[in-house]
Amino acid sequence: MNKTWLLVKTMLKMQYSKAGTSQSQIWLYVVAGIFLLPVLFILIPAIQMLVTAMYEVLAPANQESLILGMLLLGLHILLFMISLVTVINSFYFAEDIQSFIPLPLQPYQLLLAKAANPFLYLYLTAGAVFLPVFYFYGLASDASFLYFLYGIPVFLLLPLIPFTIASLLLMPVMRFVNISKNKDRSKVAGGILSLLFIIFINVLIRLNTDTDGLVENVALSLQEGDGLLRMLTIYYPPAYISTLALSNPLSLTGILSFAGMIAMSAAALVLFLWMGQLLYLKGLLGTGSGNKRPTASKKVQKKISARPVWLSYLQKELRIIFRTPAFLMQCVVQSLFGPVFIVIILMLDFENNSFSGLLGGFSGKQTILLLFIATVFIMGSNGTAISSVSREGKNWHANLFLPLKPAQYFFSKIAAAWVINLFTVLLALFIFVFFLQLPVGTLLAWLLVVLLASWFTSAVGTYLDFLDPKLNWTDEQEVFKWRITSLLSLLITAGPFGLIVLVLWRVNAVEGLYVTSLVLLVILAISILIIHQLLRKKINTNWQQQI
Amino acid sequence: MIEIHDVSKNFPSRNKAIDTLNLTVPDGKIVGFLGPNGAGKATTIKMMTGILPIDEGSITLNGRDIAKEPIAAKKIFGYVPDAPDMFLRLKGMEYLNLIGDIFDVPKELRQTRIEQLTKQFNIYDALNDHIQTYSHGMRQKIIVTGVLLHDPAIWILDEPLTGLDPKSSYMLKEMMREHADNGNTVFFSSHGLEVVEQLCDEVAIVNKGKLIFYGTIEELREKYQSDQSLENVFLELTSDE
Repeated sequence: MNKTWLLVKTMLKMQYSKAGTSQSQIWLYVVAGIFLLPVLFILIPAIQMLVTAMYEVLAPANQESLILGMLLLGLHILLFMISLVTVINSFYFAEDIQSFIPLPLQPYQLLLAKAANPFLYLYLTAGAVFLPVFYFYGLASDASFLYFLYGIPVFLLLPLIPFTIASLLLMPVMRFVNISKNKDRSKVAGGILSLLFIIFINVLIRLNTDTDGLVENVALSLQEGDGLLRMLTIYYPPAYISTLALSNPLSLTGILSFAGMIAMSAAALVLFLWMGQLLYLKGLLGTGSGNKRPTASKKVQKKISARPVWLSYLQKELRIIFRTPAFLMQCVVQSLFGPVFIVIILMLDFENNSFSGLLGGFSGKQTILLLFIATVFIMGSNGTAISSVSREGKNWHANLFLPLKPAQYFFSKIAAAWVINLFTVLLALFIFVFFLQLPVGTLLAWLLVVLLASWFTSAVGTYLDFLDPKLNWTDEQEVFKWRITSLLSLLITAGPFGLIVLVLWRVNAVEGLYVTSLVLLVILAISILIIHQLLRKKINTNWQQQI
Repeated sequence: MIEIHDVSKNFPSRNKAIDTLNLTVPDGKIVGFLGPNGAGKATTIKMMTGILPIDEGSITLNGRDIAKEPIAAKKIFGYVPDAPDMFLRLKGMEYLNLIGDIFDVPKELRQTRIEQLTKQFNIYDALNDHIQTYSHGMRQKIIVTGVLLHDPAIWILDEPLTGLDPKSSYMLKEMMREHADNGNTVFFSSHGLEVVEQLCDEVAIVNKGKLIFYGTIEELREKYQSDQSLENVFLELTSDE
């Protein structure tokens, strides 16, 4: 156990090491924290109002346990979804595990240590939702001391079951996709599968929502105490018994449920460790090795090609993104996840055919403004631009000793982010053509505006990453984790452009689709010039790009 | 020729990592760069190659100042870093093409050189594999091939022989000799004293950021006790007392 604890501490230390973190970066977090405070001041009273109001409505019908049931079930689903992504990232994508494999440690010990960081994240997420609702429910129901006491283990055990379910689903998948020769490719396949699974669950939930049957069930369930709770959590006992334990802590049912919940969690832990011991290392081991077959001279000759440096460098960027599982997932797959999700949901509801008229009520000017800000918002958070410099890691030195002008490689880096954004643009185009059935003129105007906007967001992300890059990583995941750059990039792109859209919306002097598009194009061109000037200034003050 | 004039470098954690270093690496010679761990070898090489900025002094490569004309200076040298773990997700051939594009190596020349060098180094059959799947020695070889591809006048090699098999190591040493004999500059750092003894025309020894010796091995032996091995001379020279 001591060794496991030591491993947990070491892995957490590696993840949260302050080594190489500048003072300014730490201050940035402090400032971000201060900005979040007002949000908390609004959010917490809002949660209190919601819980109290729901309690007042449900308590007379003896259905107040529904609040806790919804909370726990919702949290379990949320934590499960997050776990799918974190399990695959932490257990399989993080390369730091490689240095631990040769040590004389059991797979379950490695697994527990690797689970520490995802668990911290899960507790943070769960805490933000669970604690206020749990507390205000206790206040509203005038709960006993035991309720609050039970709350502690319920909260502490909360992530265990969803995390175990996610691991149980993924570990066998990774064990078997790892059979293939190319380990990177199988990692990506596993990652995409887990995202598809999230979409699949959503589709399943949507398809099973039968409104008429629901009303009937609700009516029936209302007639018995905790009936709604049972109806909601019938297929998911952990949420049911945790709620029973919390809502009747003094009764025998409550005590038994509490014991049941602890037993279930313990069983989940045992199952997790057992499966891990059985499958984890097998899913992890087996990197490919160099080709030993003779290569035909003709094949090699064919691959020799000369290209302009910017194109060659751009190709290198794209190759590295597409071949590094963590980069592919963060830069490409996850940025497409949102739009793909929307497409699938739209397709499910396509029978209603209500979307073609969705934008019908808006004028040409309003349509282009809406489409513009929506796509800028999606592209502003794209991972490619904000990791432009950081992705290089220790390779950054190569940019310094090779005879490359900084402007040259920054151009290629911005271009790489722009190319990746094209996937999002194409998906959006698909939605606009097939679901919203927009006229050709609007589509062309949007396309023009959005291609320029994409350059702008790519340049902003690259510039921000250059200001404060994270090069000293041991694992690719660290490039994206706990960094404020993505939020800043989103704020800088969506903020001012949101304002511009609002102003244009109101100003009567700008009317019509084409005039509005032209104004947007001009504003974008000026913005691009400004950001390029800023980048040039930064390059000039720091010619050697010391970071 | 590499000329290092009064170069100093400070780090926040360590003042005078390099202390007014003066060194001229002449053409036509192989110069070994020695020193204990933390003596300032890596810092010097990083300043020579433009990876680290120079706080004081200047470094020129064939007359080109690395700080003032970085692109022109960088075109003159080829650098093999101590850790060959670069561009791991690229295939060997893709890496060589990138280097060829950066250094403007014509396509026809590329074809001949790539084929010749990679066959000599025995990595020709692995050119279509990702560098990540290469062994340490193979990675070293692909980086060396990248350097030789653009045929620079100055070679700066940081521990170039680490991880190479005997045949490749012998070949690289032969290439270094030939390059120097053709009137070019070869500057390499090493911890392997036997290699230095066997290969170098001159050695530069640094300790605590200062140059403590520059000259031939014979001069080194003469200056200290001639009957001792190079290892003993080195240990004595760099000891703290």
